[in-house]
Amino acid sequence: MVTPALPPPAIVAPEPGPTVSAALTDANVRVTSAFSGAQIVLYGAVFDPETRPSDVVVIVRGPDQPIRIARKVRVAGLWVNSRPVVFEGAPGFYMAASSRPLTEIASFSTLRRLGAGIDHLPMNAPEEERIETRYGVRDVVVSRLGGDYLEWRRAVIRLKEKASLYATDHEGVRFVDRGLFRAEIDLPTSAPIGEYQTEIILFQDGEPVSRRARTITVEKAGLERWLFLFANEQPWLYGIVSVLIALTSGWLASVVFRRR
Amino acid sequence: MDIYLPIAEVSVNAGILVLLGAVVGFISGLFGIGGGFLMTPILLWMGIPPVVAVASEANHVAASSASSVISYSRKRQVDFRMGGVLAAGGAVGALLGVEVFRWLRLMGQADLVVSLSYLIFLGLIGGLMLVESVGSVLRQRRGQPPAKRRDRRPVWLYGLPFKVRFPRSRLYISVIPPVILGIFVGILSAIMGVGGGFILVPAMVYILRMPAGVVVGTSLFQIIITTSLASILQAGRNQSVDIVLATLLLLGGVLGAQFGARASSRFRAEELRALLGLIVLIMGLQMGLVLFITPEDPFILVGSGK
Repeated sequence: MVTPALPPPAIVAPEPGPTVSAALTDANVRVTSAFSGAQIVLYGAVFDPETRPSDVVVIVRGPDQPIRIARKVRVAGLWVNSRPVVFEGAPGFYMAASSRPLTEIASFSTLRRLGAGIDHLPMNAPEEERIETRYGVRDVVVSRLGGDYLEWRRAVIRLKEKASLYATDHEGVRFVDRGLFRAEIDLPTSAPIGEYQTEIILFQDGEPVSRRARTITVEKAGLERWLFLFANEQPWLYGIVSVLIALTSGWLASVVFRRR
Repeated sequence: MDIYLPIAEVSVNAGILVLLGAVVGFISGLFGIGGGFLMTPILLWMGIPPVVAVASEANHVAASSASSVISYSRKRQVDFRMGGVLAAGGAVGALLGVEVFRWLRLMGQADLVVSLSYLIFLGLIGGLMLVESVGSVLRQRRGQPPAKRRDRRPVWLYGLPFKVRFPRSRLYISVIPPVILGIFVGILSAIMGVGGGFILVPAMVYILRMPAGVVVGTSLFQIIITTSLASILQAGRNQSVDIVLATLLLLGGVLGAQFGARASSRFRAEELRALLGLIVLIMGLQMGLVLFITPEDPFILVGSGK
């Protein structure tokens, strides 16, 4: 009797359906005295046995930083600042790069749910809000900014974009080969210190089908770190030391010049 | 060479900072002033956050004043007692000023107050100095005798209580006017990032009627004490002194101050005053200009939530 040969063990598929994966060239940015911004390249690949049309969105979100913004108003012929409005929940750095304009990739509600794109950042100004009952409806959140809210919000984004801290790039994710893509993350010198959450989302037919998260750490290093910690942990001693340096160097210069 | 400043958190060219320090130090030594009113606006234009610029500049002014005060004191041109009284007022003023600045920053009005203070004080004093010194230069050219100085001291200076003798200045006056003057200059030094020499010097000449010989040295002595204190307070309360920025500035600053002090003997006092008046006036108008120009963007970010 010849027993039929057993079929070879099937290769276990890792996950059914398409997946995305990505890696950063540099996950740790060291801010030293030579720091003049950084460029990080993100490489990734889309694994899809059926090769359906894919879109990739890369979102980088820096540490949250409350934003204080004021409006210039004219008072008695002089341009002065209004009382500042504090926006909370806004990141200190934000970048949305995609292979196509976001609005073509997914619907408004999907993007809103994922917080993908500058327009979907959950920014608000809690100090301007109060909860009241309106038209018999209880617990309605009313902002003192009223209809101007959008204008203030747009101004925050405009000013942050001008400082290269917010960016939207509709062609930021480029497919370099079949399934292989890359995106560049430009951190300006003013990029805040902290953890940057990077999210890579694969879209197919307007739905997110696979997500990956990576973290970039931006930290002060070397002398910069030491001085920063000194200034913040022992501020009074730091102040005394800096004054001593100033007075000593003034005194030294006058001694040196007297001898000449 | 670009260098990233640890507290200001911006990248600037180190060579330019040293050179700037030297130029401002030269002017400071030439005129016997701290030079803060020149340096602080330049730092702001370079993109240094206002809080850091003001605090670090106080440190730089302390250094360049220390560099030149020693040579004045060798020539017995410092009235230490008067300087001490002014500095006592200055200490109170600096304490108040640091708190006022902190509050203004929270209200988003720091920029406005800084611009307004520059416009008002520099504009006024620069204008007065220019008019007065150009007048006396013209009189000299025409061969007319210099205008008579009204040597009668105002009565209120003598009527006030707490009189103290100031032998070096040959004065016997109440301590109240110098203390008030000191407080005022201390507040300005914390808000504007200046030593306040441009206000102290004329005030000592025209209000306290001190002899011209001791005015500059005494003003520098008081500036050292006030700015050192302002610097420590800014570091302690606001963590806003950038030691790298201050050190780069004072590298050039202390040397420039020495050369400036030497060059000052080559010019006549009136011509120097006219030139200083012009520089002060231009600086004041330049800083105040922003209040009148329609802004490009009606919105402005007023510092992070730090």
